[in-house]
Amino acid sequence: MGAAKQALRATVSRGPDVSMADSGLDRALPARLAAGRKVLPIVEGAVLIAALILPLVLQDYLTVFATRVIILALFALSFDLVWGYAGILSFGQALFFGSAGYGVALMARDLNITSIFLVLPAGTLIGLTTSLLLGGFLLLGRHPSSVIFVALGTLTGSYAADRLARGWYYLGGQNGIPSIPSMSLGSYDITEGPVYYYFALGTLVVVYLLCRFLVRSQFGLALAGLRENEQRIAFFGYKAQHLKAIVFAVGGTIAGLAGSLYAFHEGFVWPNMVGVVISTQVVLYVLFGGSGTLIGAVIGTVIIEGVSFWLSDNYRDIWPILLGVLLLLVILFRPLGLISYVLGERERVGSFGAGPKEKRNAAP
Amino acid sequence: MASAFVAAFEILSFGAIIVLVVLGLGIIASMMGIFNFAQGEFVLLGAYVTYLAHSRGIPIWVGMAAAPFIVGGLGFVLEALIIRRFYAAPIVAMLGTYALGLIIRESVRGLIGGFYLTVPEPIGGSIDIGTMHISTWRFTIIVITLLVMGGCYLLLSRTSFGLRVRATLENPALARVSGISTPLIYGATFAFGAALAGLAGALIVPVFSLFADLGIRFLIQGFVAVMVGGVGSFIGPVAGAGLIGTLSAALPWVIAPVVADVLVFVLAIVFIKFRPQGLIAGKGV
Repeated sequence: MGAAKQALRATVSRGPDVSMADSGLDRALPARLAAGRKVLPIVEGAVLIAALILPLVLQDYLTVFATRVIILALFALSFDLVWGYAGILSFGQALFFGSAGYGVALMARDLNITSIFLVLPAGTLIGLTTSLLLGGFLLLGRHPSSVIFVALGTLTGSYAADRLARGWYYLGGQNGIPSIPSMSLGSYDITEGPVYYYFALGTLVVVYLLCRFLVRSQFGLALAGLRENEQRIAFFGYKAQHLKAIVFAVGGTIAGLAGSLYAFHEGFVWPNMVGVVISTQVVLYVLFGGSGTLIGAVIGTVIIEGVSFWLSDNYRDIWPILLGVLLLLVILFRPLGLISYVLGERERVGSFGAGPKEKRNAAP
Repeated sequence: MASAFVAAFEILSFGAIIVLVVLGLGIIASMMGIFNFAQGEFVLLGAYVTYLAHSRGIPIWVGMAAAPFIVGGLGFVLEALIIRRFYAAPIVAMLGTYALGLIIRESVRGLIGGFYLTVPEPIGGSIDIGTMHISTWRFTIIVITLLVMGGCYLLLSRTSFGLRVRATLENPALARVSGISTPLIYGATFAFGAALAGLAGALIVPVFSLFADLGIRFLIQGFVAVMVGGVGSFIGPVAGAGLIGTLSAALPWVIAPVVADVLVFVLAIVFIKFRPQGLIAGKGV
């Protein structure tokens, strides 16, 4: 086993050296890889440790803010899965986030159900159902849909939901549903603060690990092929549209979970949560951090939310403009996002499946 | 009878506004294959230029006349600097133009604050036909829309510039071989589309008043209209815009406005799903 790993490391370190010598690109990367170290686990570990000790050093109101960021990172993960791994541009990811939020808010308001064992599965289920319905409609069918159609379809869906939520009295109209009671675990109320923070962080870690497993499995390999060349994958006999619909539903499920966590954390839901504003915000997070890497989505969320929180006091007017400029620069010059400064192309694409297969894939 | 006539006028004038907004979007999408997410913000800029002229004491119609040129000029510059890099990848183009739109929108928001600013109609009053009154300005918008539509059609189908644009659309490589400067044509087309959006913004600002999110609403409606009409031709998006505009103005008279609002989008998406080529398929004018 150890020998196999050694061999793998050897091949991995040899591969990029050759290609890098050809292209003469980034000089730091081959050196790092030649040392046999992988950057990704280091980055992930560092982020996790930072997240774990954060509430110990932060003041209370900052912990509340950090919890919000963690939940938004969970949401960003869902978009990253759909766009970064399957190449579906879901411009309406907030539809699942928001409808789950509205769903649990209604449960809490009208049925008085706040038990964590009921609301979180319910929110997740709402996300799954809506994404299955929308994804099934947009992606499946006799003629494969164009990427542009799916992007506009999801955007329109989210916008329509926003309008519906604004106009429907039962959903509270413009004001949304205020003062949702706290989520409860037995007789204990989970209110905002360190407890909620660690709970959200735990959820994020579990979902992150599941996603990591998914994208590194054989299914993930098929997805990578799908993203690079859909037609070829279809010729190989994969049902490309089905794969896409599955990923879309997984993304919607995660967004639903994040939405229900968000609704209970904030204590209210309002139409923006389902609409274009949040939908495009999540696009910003993921593109900025680096789409196609799970940790990129998390880092992008933390940086954008952190900086905007930091700047919002003094530079409230300038910040959104600055954000647009940054996004434009990233799209133009760093399409793989900030994470690509530390993460090489080979590690971003990664290797797939179990050990022996991994070796075969990594071999030049 | 009178109310039916008023309803018909309302529907017609809203349809005209949507056609005006979609015209530029449709031309850019059809001729260049780019879905320009900044188009809504070009509309906003046109409206802002008009407001600026008004607040400086310049006659409103001067601002309205200047708006398309200013926005078109900006479009030309943006195309040369940024949009040009996106032609190979339509998806990246969506994201890039979205970022551009964000910059423009937030800049305007910073300039006007979170207010709703009103701009008076340059031609006020109403036209009286018997006992009915219809707004003169809305009527003017309908007339201008018809003129602009006709002008665009003639420009694309009858002039040598239009011929070059169509040639570039049909076969860029062959067009280049034939001595047409395709980058220049793309730049001009994008600027033209932006100018149309600027004109639309200038004309509708007295009706809708000026606020930073003015563009978003028209953007999504415009996209849906372009898809319904069919990308690739001039007449397709116009037909789609007419249909979507009429539908979204007419439905609230029949069913509850909330449902009507959503129903238009749902119907449009279902329609596009089952007829991806749109109402009018095919390339050309």
